[in-house]
Amino acid sequence: MLKVRPPFRTSLRFLMAGLAGLTLVASASAQQTLTVAAYPAVDEIAKSAIPMWKKKHPDVEIKVISRAFADHHTAMTTALSTSSNLPDVMVVEYGFVARFAEGGGLEDLGAAPYNIKSQQAHFVPYAFRQGTTNAGTVVAVPADIGPGTLLYRDDLLKKAGVKESDLTQSWDSFVASGVKIKAATGAYLVAHARDVKDIVIRSDIKPGEGLYIDNKGKVLVDTPRFVRAFELAKKVREQKLDGKIGAWSNEWSEGFKRGTIATQLSGAWLAGHLNNWLAPNTKGLWRAAQLPEKAYGSWGGSFYTIPKVSKNKALAWEFIQMMTLNPEMQLSAFKSQDAFPALVDVHKDAFFDQPIEFLGGQKARLLWRDAANKITAVDVHKLDPIAEEIINTEMDKVLDQGKDIKTALADAKALLERRVAR
Amino acid sequence: MNTEKLAPRAAYLLVGVGALLMLTPFYFMFVFATHSRTEIFNLPPPLFFGDSFLLNLQILTEKIPFWRSLGWSLYVALASTALTLLFCSMGGYAFAMFEFRGKQPLFLLVMGTMLLPSFLGMIPTFMIMDAFGWIDQPRALYIPGAASAFGIFMMRQFIGASIPKDLIEAARMDGCGELGIYWRIVLPLLAPAMGTLGLITFIASWNNFIGPLIVMRSPEMYTLPLALRSMQSPVNTEWGAVMAGSAIATLPLLVLFAISSRRLIDGLTAGAVK
Amino acid sequence: MLVSPFLILFLVFGVFPLVFSFYLAFQTWEPTAGLSSMKFVGLGNFAFAITDEWFWKSLKNTAWLAFASGVPQHVIAIPLAYFIHTSFKRTRNSVIGAYFLPYITSTVAIAMMFGTLFSTDFGLINISLRALSQLPGLGWLISGEPIDWLNRAENVKPAVAIVVFWRYIGFNTVLYLAALQTIPKDIYEAATMDGARRLQQFFYITLPSLKPMIYFGVTLSVVGGLQLFEEPFILTGGRGGTDQAGMTTAMYMYRTAFEFNDFGAASALSWLLFVVVAVLTWLTNRAFKPRDGSQ
Repeated sequence: MLKVRPPFRTSLRFLMAGLAGLTLVASASAQQTLTVAAYPAVDEIAKSAIPMWKKKHPDVEIKVISRAFADHHTAMTTALSTSSNLPDVMVVEYGFVARFAEGGGLEDLGAAPYNIKSQQAHFVPYAFRQGTTNAGTVVAVPADIGPGTLLYRDDLLKKAGVKESDLTQSWDSFVASGVKIKAATGAYLVAHARDVKDIVIRSDIKPGEGLYIDNKGKVLVDTPRFVRAFELAKKVREQKLDGKIGAWSNEWSEGFKRGTIATQLSGAWLAGHLNNWLAPNTKGLWRAAQLPEKAYGSWGGSFYTIPKVSKNKALAWEFIQMMTLNPEMQLSAFKSQDAFPALVDVHKDAFFDQPIEFLGGQKARLLWRDAANKITAVDVHKLDPIAEEIINTEMDKVLDQGKDIKTALADAKALLERRVAR
Repeated sequence: MNTEKLAPRAAYLLVGVGALLMLTPFYFMFVFATHSRTEIFNLPPPLFFGDSFLLNLQILTEKIPFWRSLGWSLYVALASTALTLLFCSMGGYAFAMFEFRGKQPLFLLVMGTMLLPSFLGMIPTFMIMDAFGWIDQPRALYIPGAASAFGIFMMRQFIGASIPKDLIEAARMDGCGELGIYWRIVLPLLAPAMGTLGLITFIASWNNFIGPLIVMRSPEMYTLPLALRSMQSPVNTEWGAVMAGSAIATLPLLVLFAISSRRLIDGLTAGAVK
Repeated sequence: MLVSPFLILFLVFGVFPLVFSFYLAFQTWEPTAGLSSMKFVGLGNFAFAITDEWFWKSLKNTAWLAFASGVPQHVIAIPLAYFIHTSFKRTRNSVIGAYFLPYITSTVAIAMMFGTLFSTDFGLINISLRALSQLPGLGWLISGEPIDWLNRAENVKPAVAIVVFWRYIGFNTVLYLAALQTIPKDIYEAATMDGARRLQQFFYITLPSLKPMIYFGVTLSVVGGLQLFEEPFILTGGRGGTDQAGMTTAMYMYRTAFEFNDFGAASALSWLLFVVVAVLTWLTNRAFKPRDGSQ
């Protein structure tokens, strides 16, 4: 059959018309939806961003899919495993970033067209580092962080004649102060000896070392920092300075209300919770300090990521920038949900200068800002959750059954090495 | 000692005390539902009803589409129960009364699936649902459940134990078709078992959260357990509201139980008189 | 064929996950990397599991829990059902209702409530124990000391067993009640006329007639008990308690899959557990073998 080929220019016009038509159709199409998967309270923060978003993109609807913390990460793991039904924007908590990052299902935000690395200076250093894999790809952008702090009952300390500096000078003086506090007021130094261990193992980490395993796969659980952590925890237990109380239990909150727990090492957000519902009756009695012995640690933090299979990457990226780089958003999240901003620019805001009533008027945010910038990033390893479990089990055995520390750590090492070898 | 008289009285006492013990935690759930978060975490915890119920309800409906989720739970549970009763009674009848090729190994295979914990089946189930395009649809919740190994096992046991073969033989000789036998003779006799299985299936569906977690993507399609869980933040849960939601979520089950236990009584009279 | 609708559904939704899990047990798989990242490791997962100290610990825990919560359930449920069946006429519904309530309570509520009840210093359970120990005669049996239920390794297991018992006793009672109602009254009447006393009737008429249901109930308890997951999970906050005293094999599986991100090992674990459960189910079968058809 004879095919009549139209001259080139005509076909070009056809093509242009076609393209124009397509773009017209696309932009006039029904509402687009951007799905954001999150957990409380980040879901609230995301929802609060909708009005601002609507001003820029009135035809793109934001759909926030909210699940309980554990459920969310389970659902995301499931979705990533089959590369289907993933949201456009995925919020990931600090503890899960490493696992999801190593899987390779998340977009590299350091590459074009995102180029987040050019904005690196705007973020708290360790938080940005936390979202970067060992290979250098930035898969997660930090939104909020949990700078560690030492909250203590000023009235109890005064009664025991202990100064804040006694608590923070060194771990040994921390424990010694605990003895005094117990004697004078009957209050426990800490809720659980494990809390002490958790911080001490995070101090003095050398470059190239992860928390439990270094980047060459060597297991580090018998290094001096672990030994010291265990010894300190054991001392705390032996001196009866801990209440053996688990966090978020009734005893814990009651301990705060009744003043039987003198200090709590935690993320800064705890102050807000104590004020809101845990122990509002103790308003004015607490103060915040840096962690003892100049330790700086972090408790959690949320990150934004884009799954590779998302079909709305450009819009997703805009949303993420809005949540993480926009000072107004970051500040409002801080004010409403106590989400400490990862954006350094916001740290200059006058809000940080405000005295906090619950802490007796202390301007604690300045303290926390300072801490945030001093936290060093720790390389994460996908076996961290198992390692944590192994160490906690051995810790329990040392504390509850009097197991010898050297044996405990050696056992832990053996157990962990088995898994590393797989 | 008159043991004949003492024994029943002691029995009454024991059973009564037992019943009270059973109820205690339950009672607390309702008490907690009427208190604020701070009060719940008090020690000793509140023992009597408080005044924060309406407040909790308000928080509840603000955070999640509570009534809508309740509706979904109801829909899925009803469909699930209906389908399961139908399929499992048919299947159980076949397994109990008929001989066919591969019956034993097949039944063993069915039992085998009971041995796989539900969360391990999560990913393959997700894959199937995705392939069928059933994600975010209620049918993904009630259709698979109808092939319940538990259900068919229970039906087989019950039918094998309480339906006499002679009755079936007689009906067959009278010219009744298989389906007719099933419908007119077997089903009525199954009443207590159906009641029980129906109740159990409804409850399982109502409280199931792993299924919806895998299959539902949109918060407005959540069933109750998932919706209530989505309110739980690691550090900032509104426990009063969660308790209120859980308490309300239990009410339909209570109603259902009240209704079906009457049916169990009817089954008594129907089954005992042959 | 009557069985076909069931079978079709079953093959699609029941068998596929089974096959998938079986296949997975021989692979090493990190789920977040997507399906294509599975690597074949043969029996590696199984070898790892069998030499894994936590696996055996979890099996011991599971066996203990299954036994400690399962046996009392049936031993108590049968007489309980019998009493309710025979002695409670008007209050029957409320009594059954009371026992059945725990079964329909959601796990969230249970976690909260028992967390409070088991609290060391102020939990109702310890308070009641203290009160009971004051009663004459019971003092030497029950110490008045507060028991740290959830934090001490040796107490976690009984705590979980109590919760499991609480949750399922009503369920089993209802099952037995349904079965009891199918025993024709005439048999009892005939026996009474023959002079048999209540206790004798119980042992010689009721129990044998209940055999199919007992087989059913016990099998369920065996299978369910060995797969215990929810109750220990919520009571120990997902961790398994100190020294993993409360970690059942199912919970260990869950953590291996979703916390340690090792799906291959988790599948291997599940199949090992399957073997254990299959063996025990077979044993139960031998003990209670129901005769087909009429008794």
